[in-house]
Amino acid sequence: MSASPVLRVQGLSKSFQGVPVVQSIDLDVHKGQVVAMIGPSGCGKTTLLRCSAGLERPDRGFVELEGQPFGHERHGAEIRRQSPRQMDRMRPKVGMVFQQLNLWPHLSALDNVVKPQVVVLKRTRAEAAERARTLFTQLGLSAKADEYPYALSGGQRQRVAIARALALDPALLMFDEPTSALDPELVAEVLAMLRSLASGGMTMVIVTHEMNFAANVADRLILMGKGRIVEDRPARGSVK
Amino acid sequence: MTGFDFSLIADHSALLLTGAAMTVYVVIVSFVLAFGFGIVVALLSFLPGAVPRAFLSAYSIVLRSIPFIIVLFIVYYGLPFAGFHLSALLVGILALSFYKSAYYGEIIRAAIVALPRGQFESARAVGMSPRQAFVHVIAPQLVRGLLPPSTNMTLTLIKESSVLSTVTIGELTYQGMVMQGATYAPLECFAAVSGLYWALCAGTAWIAGRLERRAGLAQKAAIDRNPLAASFLSFERPKVRR
Repeated sequence: MSASPVLRVQGLSKSFQGVPVVQSIDLDVHKGQVVAMIGPSGCGKTTLLRCSAGLERPDRGFVELEGQPFGHERHGAEIRRQSPRQMDRMRPKVGMVFQQLNLWPHLSALDNVVKPQVVVLKRTRAEAAERARTLFTQLGLSAKADEYPYALSGGQRQRVAIARALALDPALLMFDEPTSALDPELVAEVLAMLRSLASGGMTMVIVTHEMNFAANVADRLILMGKGRIVEDRPARGSVK
Repeated sequence: MTGFDFSLIADHSALLLTGAAMTVYVVIVSFVLAFGFGIVVALLSFLPGAVPRAFLSAYSIVLRSIPFIIVLFIVYYGLPFAGFHLSALLVGILALSFYKSAYYGEIIRAAIVALPRGQFESARAVGMSPRQAFVHVIAPQLVRGLLPPSTNMTLTLIKESSVLSTVTIGELTYQGMVMQGATYAPLECFAAVSGLYWALCAGTAWIAGRLERRAGLAQKAAIDRNPLAASFLSFERPKVRR
């Protein structure tokens, strides 16, 4: 199983109200790869990401995570839809960092990270808090653990969102436009953080439309246009 | 017999307090039932499909277009013809809860709709089921949006419970009328009744105010610690350095 790609997308298509947004995409992302997906607005990057994270059901095609079908099930030759419950169980494998981050404003930064571990992975509060504090130390958030999202800066919020995803030990981290909601001077900060995650061996898919950013952090560049992959090549600024 | 005779009120205080206690009982039970049913109605309205949606909007608009006293009469006088013989109190509470559930349902639905969609999505993305997402992420955030309109609605509920006096339920208004029948002193009777309704409503509003403050505390503490956010929200002008 170790040879299986972390994420495999096969023949994936998705339309919204009859408008094709993503058309028969094939994509393999292997362990430790940092893939930047770039392309103009509306080219289907985010939809491809959301389908891969199981937030959207593709019209056609399949997604596999570490060799396991995600969103479908194979019974011999027959292919069935995966049950919502089984999909819920698989979802934490994909750590999703949303464009708007979507932190939970009623919980402190620490509890944002603790809550999903307790609810989804059934860790005890103490275990979950320890994991969260370790991540906060790594991400330079220790002093902010008890603050509410309200009181955090954009960069700090993003790190909380990353910690929330990492705490579930995902096989893959996905970022939807990680720099678009930030002040320009914070972009360097995000870049540095993504680099350090990459050097730690984290597999990542980053949707962005900033070419420089993509070239700086990724070791593989995927260009999308009109719902298709136009180009797939190694990036110049490969981390490794 | 001129002037306002306080001794009449004092003489009948036990009667009026019994009535007030019945009003409190009816209001609490009706509130719990109506709010609980309102949650169900609100959640059902998010089901996909045209049929449940059409049914729920019909339910909501019909109930909200009929005066409560008519709903009560339909239930109270109509049910025996349908073969149900329930006590007046039970019928009254059921009618009131059913009637109010349409209103609470709308309030709850509006509070859910007002939350950013991303909140539900991020909860699903970490692997929570829809139920877990509701319990751990959506519901706690609803409290703030829910409290002010629910308080209003509950004050209305307290006052509307007076309509139950028309079907022999011994709540506050009913006992006020009993007292007025015995004393022929409408001014004293209904002044006392008004005073008690005021006390119930003021008490409810006070409790709601406390809850509201508590729900807002977390955010307020965060704002207080953040000078920038605080400066936007305070009425004080920031100090100008010269």
